[in-house]
Amino acid sequence: MGGATATSPRGAAAPNELIRMGDTEAEAGPLAGRLASVGSAMPEAHPTAEAAKLLPFLALEARADLQAAAVQHALALTGSEPGRTLLAGQAALLRALIELAVAPAPAPAREATRVLINLAADPGLHKPLLAAEPELLACLLGCTLDPQWPWAEEAAAVLANLSREPAPCAALMEALAASGPGESGLERLVRALCTPGYNARAPLHYLGPVLSNLSQRPATRAFLLDPDRCVVQRLLPLTQYPDSSVRRGGVVGTLRNCCFEHRHHEWLLGPEVDILPFLLLPLAGPEDFSEEEMDRLPVDLQYLPPDKQREPDADIRKMLIEAIMLLTATAPGRKQVRDQGAYLILRELHSWEPEPDVQVACEKLIQVLIGDEPEHGLENLLEVQVPEDVERQLQQQDRQEQEQCKREHQELELAPEPQAEGAAPT
Amino acid sequence: MERPELEASSDDAMDSFLEKFQSQPYSGGFHEDQWEEEFEKIPLFMKKAPSEIDPKENPDLACLQSIIFDEERSPEEQAKTYKDEGNDYFKEKDYKKAVISYTEGLKKKCADPDLNAVLYTNRAAAQYYLGNFRSALNDVTAARKLKPCHLKAIVRGALCHLELKNYGEAVTWCDEGLQIDATEKKLLEMRAKADKLKRTEQRDIRKAKLKEKKEQHQNEALLQAIKARSIRLVSEAAGEDEDSASEGLGELFLNGLSSENPYGARLSVDDQGRLSWPVLFLYPEYAQSDFISAFHEDSRFIDHLMVMFGETPSWDLEQKYCPDNLEVYFEDEDRAELYQGSNWSCSCQPTPQQHPILNSLSEARDQIHLMVPSWICFCCTTMKTPFSSRYKTVCLGHDTLGPSGLQPPSLTWETHWPAETDSGSSDMVLKLCGVRGLEKLGLTLHCRQTKRVM
Repeated sequence: MGGATATSPRGAAAPNELIRMGDTEAEAGPLAGRLASVGSAMPEAHPTAEAAKLLPFLALEARADLQAAAVQHALALTGSEPGRTLLAGQAALLRALIELAVAPAPAPAREATRVLINLAADPGLHKPLLAAEPELLACLLGCTLDPQWPWAEEAAAVLANLSREPAPCAALMEALAASGPGESGLERLVRALCTPGYNARAPLHYLGPVLSNLSQRPATRAFLLDPDRCVVQRLLPLTQYPDSSVRRGGVVGTLRNCCFEHRHHEWLLGPEVDILPFLLLPLAGPEDFSEEEMDRLPVDLQYLPPDKQREPDADIRKMLIEAIMLLTATAPGRKQVRDQGAYLILRELHSWEPEPDVQVACEKLIQVLIGDEPEHGLENLLEVQVPEDVERQLQQQDRQEQEQCKREHQELELAPEPQAEGAAPT
Repeated sequence: MERPELEASSDDAMDSFLEKFQSQPYSGGFHEDQWEEEFEKIPLFMKKAPSEIDPKENPDLACLQSIIFDEERSPEEQAKTYKDEGNDYFKEKDYKKAVISYTEGLKKKCADPDLNAVLYTNRAAAQYYLGNFRSALNDVTAARKLKPCHLKAIVRGALCHLELKNYGEAVTWCDEGLQIDATEKKLLEMRAKADKLKRTEQRDIRKAKLKEKKEQHQNEALLQAIKARSIRLVSEAAGEDEDSASEGLGELFLNGLSSENPYGARLSVDDQGRLSWPVLFLYPEYAQSDFISAFHEDSRFIDHLMVMFGETPSWDLEQKYCPDNLEVYFEDEDRAELYQGSNWSCSCQPTPQQHPILNSLSEARDQIHLMVPSWICFCCTTMKTPFSSRYKTVCLGHDTLGPSGLQPPSLTWETHWPAETDSGSSDMVLKLCGVRGLEKLGLTLHCRQTKRVM
């Protein structure tokens, strides 16, 4: 068996999103001058007291231009960790911002939502955010799934940041379950993600990471993998979504988490879902195959055009490989993956792959496909009980291999060209 | 006290009724000789409704008909009656009549959108079974406008798109239906099927595109190879232009060759970048020809002639066509001149046969018709044969061979493949245009079966 893999589904690997405030708008009126001092970097006697001065201008009934200026200053504060902590300490301030984030125009809902995005990027601030407004998740969910809401993308980004942690993720599940009678909230979320043009003004890319985070929970995976429905099938084409790596990454992360359910592997790999071509296609390049090899590939991978590009994001490529690796945990799964020509795609990927850690993951998967079958009783690699000391040894070996791989690549880059050629892997 | 009286009355009535039978004969019954026909006219026992109802012939049926289709009944009632009638026809698999009934129901324009949606959907089903998938699709689309959540219409529409090979649309309709009923099994199966067919279709499109691009590259490689050898291409369209054919024109040649050459042979390039040509040998003495599908540019005429004339062909009545005695000519049409290999001399020399075809092709005056070099080959020995002398005399345009016997003969020659070809025939008539020599000789050329020289 290869190195130790993740023992539980992981959330989206994307880094926390921070939105920087652009150029400050022209200040208007004498009151704006007073606001300018609040956001300045000069320390004052009582910073908390200074931040509290923003509160009247954030009220729903305040003048629109003053609201906008106040929100801009709040956004500026969230650019630094002390600023975020300062804002999060003001429950009333948070409530006011949340109210603005879901208020219709001319309220500065977009900027207010961006403040929330930056605050939610800090896991330590999730608790005060949710404490300030218990209905925060329900409100954001309503905005996200409203086909008319112009700032639905920003609302989804807040949800993506919040749902990275277990407690807010569980709370979001409850909000989804309570979101309305009739069809489930998860179904509405999947439809919003999979329906092109669901919201004419917001592409909803961040619903991908939201779903990926939610799929860490067994209830979500059970819904996605319900064979009596058509849910996971609708996600598959999004692995090739051209306009957003955020969306692609979210969907691939979701699929990878679904692949932990080895009891569903036969269904996932079978004709009803046919998941493997959608995991291999982003890893396939424009290489030529012989007619014999071509016939062994799924139809989606045959006769790819010369301008075919591989997935440009290395993290997504790695997640795709990890998903396929999970599908090879059982003997029937290994056979199905092998029979559909996965080795051909991975062989070419391995030659092309520039990222060391992705290349290592690719090598391990190739080893599984072309290596011997495990001993009797160890066929299901996800159910094998690995002793703790063995697991620690395997993890240590993993780290050593990755370090060595990186060192080799660094040597290649630093060494003179003739030596580099000589050292090139065969 | 009235009860006993009533009872007495009924008893009396019954008695009088029975007495009536004893005194009067039964009337109004079936006639013995026509009872079957009369039985058939009673609506209850009718086996088949008449196509047209005549009130005199079928008064009972006419009465029922007028009750059913009474114009005073509401449009909704009439539409429903037509729907039920259509459903009956549908069950009997009489889909044409079902369509008519549903159409009549729709014409009532009743105010019930649900009923109209059902009429559209049912008519769509009937149209579907008649194979009118596009009409069926129009009907389910109309039904969905009236009743957006009508699942039967959505299922039918997805089936129509599947039959029309609109696989992407079929998947979309399935998804829309699954929004209404997320676990509808028929839609789940149909969606998987449509998705599979869509992906297969996309693969076939990619395959065809790649094949087309590959052929284009091959053609470009061929043209490059020809130009690299300074070989000029000539066609009727560019007959007046002595310059090299343009790229587009060359493309036209290459693309047209496959359809014009009945043997399907075409110019090809091997791994070392060497060309093989389809070559035609003409024997004007007997109006015969041989076709060589792949004449490698580095191979020699003599090697092909040795194989082709290893055995005497049936038309060589005098058995004089031996490789050693053969001369090879080609014509320069622009100048109406005849050349023997690379040698101006008309003398009988075996040397020209030693040259590979590439030398001849690269000569300045060489020309190629539709990618098939045309060669003239006929027999002569050290002693001039009667035909050989006559042929040269005719081509030279002189009555007798003059002192300038070494002057090249003058000949205009064109070769065309016939528009229609009997692929099963081993012989082929080549219509030769502007062949003054053959015209004067009154000959028609025949082509032998292909001989391939390895």
